[in-house]
Amino acid sequence: MKQLFTAAVFLLTAMLAQAQVSTFPTNGAPNPNHNFTAFTNARIIVDAETVIDKGTLLIRDGFIVDAGPAVTIPAGTVVIDLQGKWIYPSFIDPYTTYGITRPKRAPHDPAPQYETARPGAYAWNDALKPDNDAYRHYTANAETAEAYRNLGFGTVMSYYPDGIARGTATCVTLNAEQGDNRSMLQDKVAACYSFNKGTSTQEYPGSLMGAIALMRQTYADAAWYNTLKAKTEYNHSLDAWIAIQTLPQIFETTDKWNVLRADKVGDEFGVQYIFKGSGNEYQRMDEMKATGASFILPLNFPAAFDVDDPFDARMIAYEDLKHWELAPLNPGAFEKYGIRFALTASDLEDKAEFMTNLRRAILFGLSEKMALRALTTIPAEMLGIADKAGTLRKGMLANFIITSGNVFAENTVIWENWVRGQKYVINDMSKIDIRGSYQLTVGNDAVRNLKITGSLMKMKGAIQNADSSKTPAMIDLAGNAITLVFTPKGVEGAYRLSGSVDAVTKSMTGSAQLPDGKWMNWTAKFTAAHEEKPQTPDTTNWYLPTLDDVIYPFASYGVTRNDTSMIDRLKRRYDAVLIKNVTVWTGAQGDTAMPDMDVYITEGRIVRIAKNIDAPKGAFALVIDGTGKHLTPGIIDEHSHIAVAGGVNEGTQASTAEVRIGDVINPDDVNIYRQLSGGVTAAQLLHGSANPIGGQSALVKLRWGSNAEQMKIAGAMGFIKFALGENVKQANWGEYFTIRFPQSRMGVEQVYFDHFTRAKEYQRQWEEWKKLSPKDREKMTPPRRDLEMETLVEILTQARFITCHSYVQSEINMLMQVADSMGFKVNTFTHILEGYKVADKMRKHGAGGSSFADWWAYKMEVMDAIPQNPAILFRMGIVVAVNSDDAEMARRLNQEAAKSIKYGDLTEEEALMMVTSNPAKLLHLDKHQGTIAVGMDADVVLWSDNPLSVYAKVEKTLIDGKVLYDSEEDARRRETMEKERARIIQKMMHEKENGAPTVKPRMKRMKVWDCEDLGTENDYLNDAE
Amino acid sequence: MKSIYSFTLFAALFAGVTASAQKPVPAKPQTKSILLMNGVAHIGNGTVIENSVIGFRNGKIELVADARTVRIDRTAWDTVADCAGKHLYPGLIAPNSTLGLTEVESVRATNDQYEVGGYNPHIRSLIAWNSDSKIIPTVRTNGVLMAQVTPRGGRITGTSSIMHLDGWNWEDAVHKADDGIHINWPSYIAYNWSENGPGGYERSKRYLDQRHELEQFFTEAKVYCALPSQPEKNLRFEGMRGVFNGTKAVYIHADYVKEITEAIAFAQKFGLKRMVIVGGADSWMCASQLKAASVPVMLNRLHSLPQTDGDDVNQSYKTPAQLLKAGVLFCLQNSGDQEAHGTRNLPFMAGTAAAWGLTKEEALMAVTLNSAKIMGIDSRCGSLEPGKDATLFVSDGDALDMRSNNVRAAWIQGRRLDLRNEQTEMAEKYQDKYGLKKKK
Repeated sequence: MKQLFTAAVFLLTAMLAQAQVSTFPTNGAPNPNHNFTAFTNARIIVDAETVIDKGTLLIRDGFIVDAGPAVTIPAGTVVIDLQGKWIYPSFIDPYTTYGITRPKRAPHDPAPQYETARPGAYAWNDALKPDNDAYRHYTANAETAEAYRNLGFGTVMSYYPDGIARGTATCVTLNAEQGDNRSMLQDKVAACYSFNKGTSTQEYPGSLMGAIALMRQTYADAAWYNTLKAKTEYNHSLDAWIAIQTLPQIFETTDKWNVLRADKVGDEFGVQYIFKGSGNEYQRMDEMKATGASFILPLNFPAAFDVDDPFDARMIAYEDLKHWELAPLNPGAFEKYGIRFALTASDLEDKAEFMTNLRRAILFGLSEKMALRALTTIPAEMLGIADKAGTLRKGMLANFIITSGNVFAENTVIWENWVRGQKYVINDMSKIDIRGSYQLTVGNDAVRNLKITGSLMKMKGAIQNADSSKTPAMIDLAGNAITLVFTPKGVEGAYRLSGSVDAVTKSMTGSAQLPDGKWMNWTAKFTAAHEEKPQTPDTTNWYLPTLDDVIYPFASYGVTRNDTSMIDRLKRRYDAVLIKNVTVWTGAQGDTAMPDMDVYITEGRIVRIAKNIDAPKGAFALVIDGTGKHLTPGIIDEHSHIAVAGGVNEGTQASTAEVRIGDVINPDDVNIYRQLSGGVTAAQLLHGSANPIGGQSALVKLRWGSNAEQMKIAGAMGFIKFALGENVKQANWGEYFTIRFPQSRMGVEQVYFDHFTRAKEYQRQWEEWKKLSPKDREKMTPPRRDLEMETLVEILTQARFITCHSYVQSEINMLMQVADSMGFKVNTFTHILEGYKVADKMRKHGAGGSSFADWWAYKMEVMDAIPQNPAILFRMGIVVAVNSDDAEMARRLNQEAAKSIKYGDLTEEEALMMVTSNPAKLLHLDKHQGTIAVGMDADVVLWSDNPLSVYAKVEKTLIDGKVLYDSEEDARRRETMEKERARIIQKMMHEKENGAPTVKPRMKRMKVWDCEDLGTENDYLNDAE
Repeated sequence: MKSIYSFTLFAALFAGVTASAQKPVPAKPQTKSILLMNGVAHIGNGTVIENSVIGFRNGKIELVADARTVRIDRTAWDTVADCAGKHLYPGLIAPNSTLGLTEVESVRATNDQYEVGGYNPHIRSLIAWNSDSKIIPTVRTNGVLMAQVTPRGGRITGTSSIMHLDGWNWEDAVHKADDGIHINWPSYIAYNWSENGPGGYERSKRYLDQRHELEQFFTEAKVYCALPSQPEKNLRFEGMRGVFNGTKAVYIHADYVKEITEAIAFAQKFGLKRMVIVGGADSWMCASQLKAASVPVMLNRLHSLPQTDGDDVNQSYKTPAQLLKAGVLFCLQNSGDQEAHGTRNLPFMAGTAAAWGLTKEEALMAVTLNSAKIMGIDSRCGSLEPGKDATLFVSDGDALDMRSNNVRAAWIQGRRLDLRNEQTEMAEKYQDKYGLKKKK
């Protein structure tokens, strides 16, 4: 029976052999070879779970015929004895650009390009290239293939690194010499995406939020295009987009937060991405787990900084020091959290670091079993090639490596890497291990002791002199021929020995030439074998970090979850805070400051305000003595641009209503903490002012340490930025920006008429569609979902409110007229520096204002700005706020409000309203925020002095009843941070002493945005060369 | 009874100036002597006289005394005003300012603070100073009465001059012409572009070259200036003569700690008699070196974010107290974004310094007498002391706090200023339109 089975296998393989006929003609006689090759006596790692201690691997024609402890070796087999050696399935890299020539970006042209520059019936945007198949660009590259093979890889996925939608990736094996046709394994294995627009020189998207919007709109367009009964336009890109949805969808990210951003897009359109990570995911593992995604992780652990100079080292951001120490935790963290992941050598500048870094990851907690899975079966499953590669089972590709031992151990040598049955020698397996002790006799000299040590591939020799000192000996071994050079103590010049090694006895014999030119005979008698000491990293006095060392947020002033302040905070979440004997400023209209009050807070809300409150018995209450101090509502910044990643302006079209700041909140921005120190508890994070209709705002509380979604205020209304004047007509953008409509205030008006006219039409189309019966709908094409129009309709239906950047009276008047005629309201004019000229009209329209306290003279349209503006608007009965638009000033908004006491005769209480209850009203948050009253959110600030005074300092800032800033705790955090910095710096010094490479200190310069900023940090949307 | 009489007198004094229907016009020279009585006098040198008498005549302060300890002959003064409950201050001084050189930041035609050519010690800021700038009156209204007008851009940006913030033209308004040259110290940290991957802020690859270039210029200029005249004049080197004979100060703009210590070494190498660090964001880190070298600091805008993420969130607020403790002479200035119109917030920066460790009087010194000392004009300006210019103002309350900074009267060298400006006019115009009660 068994024989019958074996015969069947032979038949099958014989057929396979027949099938390997090529369409390519050969030059000269072909060289067919259907021999079997058997690797015997090897330890065979079939996969991470299956090990054959001593077995045989039989291959033929590039496939595995059998692998097992007792494999019958047929006639016509080349037998290779692998006694003492290990066989692993070769590794699979699921994310490379192997064989792909990186695309080049066209030379920089200062003039903006608003429309597509790509010829052909493709998508409107050049960053969309779903039609681009990597296999069309692939050509095998012997040099790169060798670099990958040397690391143990046999199969790789290759993608074309260009654009937001990048098209399909291909899968190839690394037998480059066999040509493109024989190295391609599967033409399309995945569809690839990123937030990087690549070589596209088109303006849109100019920001991360624009890239996200472009992806969302394209999903919507593809769905609509797919339902078209008759195509009104041909769109190869959408055709391709639709076609490749069935493949695995791989999304490349450059930051942990981008994983969440992309995942949100995926969730909206029913797509589960596989994420190509960036290496800092360990900083937010709970969030990574919640995506439900699989990951492809790089091993790009940062090099240590050169921290010799303490001043220069100060410029290195805390998070960069922490990341250096913690980065190797990343793969192990995924294992711990049970998240499926594969490993990739991508993102490594020097690919040779791959194994070193992998060993480091293992030291930091990754199991060897998981490491192997992440390099073999998991990437194979991800790419849909699990039936071809990743294990050493029958019928799989003959892709394997032969090693001297455990592939993850420090001194293990990879001997050979076989790709589809093709042998590639990495290290000479036949090399004789001559390490050991010898008695060396040269001519008539006394016998010397020779010791050969080191690694097999790099052996070192040492001669013991008569006085027992040691002299190094150079050794070169090629086959059996050996060269030995050394200079004995007391001899002028070197002994040069050439001879031969006996492979079995390891004894040597040959001829030597002495320094004086005389020839002598020499012998070396093998006396003892080399004892290899297991090399484990020296971890004495070396701290091995864990995930407990991660700080939240991963920034300066972030703390670990075990930090006492965090423990207290979690514990106190549902407990109470009682502030005693404090002067309460309610922030409400008509109230005056009330001295000696107690305020009781529980479950995040203010529950009682009275004199002499006693904490209920049994409740754990944090009692804060407010004697001589003042309590105000948390400050609300109506106009902020902090905590935004990847650009604050889309600004590449006159309207970008589809983009959302809420997609790009950066919870790691230290400015959040800085503003807490100034009493700010909530802010509207606004799009910039580069276009008449900007993007959607995010309303957040400054919940330092939380993630982006947690920062958003639940139930808050939608807001959108509009802008008028110089910025939107590109008045100060230079001579090249004279193309985009509008270039004048006249044009701005028509932008609004145009967009709201279309929005109404859009609204009508959908209303009619919704009225149709399901049966009727089947016969028709639905209206195209347009994210921009959808947003404008929200304005018309009062589901979204406008904050409009504005300066001069003419344009303010204009927008109110447009709004009145189109049936919507302008909720807030922000900046509104000439608001005092049209205060009566604003009051009539019902618009509020959010003003600078005293800014002017920075451009032409603010030359009539006056510091009396907020007070005049206030006294005209308009809801007016004072805002920042400036990360520094935001922490002194109480002082900015106080300027209206000086310039505009407001009372102190009125002035305070402009940064508390009034911005809350403008943002429709006043039901829960902006005043101190029973039932309101416990977002309060404790001040050392009258809060309108320049001398007032924030002592505590509470959000939802939790102390998020405390001036004493602030000092303690800084101390902790300094200690931690010093510890890591000493660790870096230690590694430098041990020869680790270092890089120059790099200073972090966080971009602090304002309204007029265009572009992104480091231009990272365009990093293609 | 007395208080009513006196109060009327003060109000009359106030009304006397506002009677003019013109936009603020330069004030006429002091013809009548003035005695201000019973106000809280903040002298500017760290002391306060709670109940003061201050008299000035012909533009000079003649009398500064405690009303409770001296007998005053009221008849010796043409005007006597009761300032009870009010606060008197020396005029605040804004060092390192572009006031009068710029009008509208984004409009190139209105900007005169930048010149081309890296080494411009010969260019002079005062001749571009626009005495009719609309910004200047708005700054005076908050008590800032003098400014060091300073060019920007290049390695040696040019020569500054100290101006009174009132006058028909620059010639008229200048207090001290060409008081010093300004150097932007080469950046030690700069954005280095990288061949692979994104670049970053690192030790500047050009730092040493730029430093050598500056040294070379100083070496050549020093040799040139050693001869009283040269056959062929080099205007750039001629502009350096004052530097080497000690008549001009050298203001070195530097923020990063290493730039500051490098600048100190540079000044010592060239034997600069008066070197001042301008900016000095990191000066708190090298205060002992500054003290040892007797180098004063014109501190960067107090209302600034810290230099690094990890620095104390309130570092820039705390730096003045740290320098004071270390014995370093310092004053405050406001260069940076929106610097010209923002000069009016100078008193509030002093207020912030007072909130974070200085006494109010020490904070006041940082915008008055210290500034004058650092610029070498303290014999005539910077404090309320007999013999000095009668450059002072009266505020309703604490002028360092925006709640109470209400300047009621101000004099420059005894000339009574019109405190209105285009902004107060515009506010009045619209308050009239809406029937709102005017500001008292």
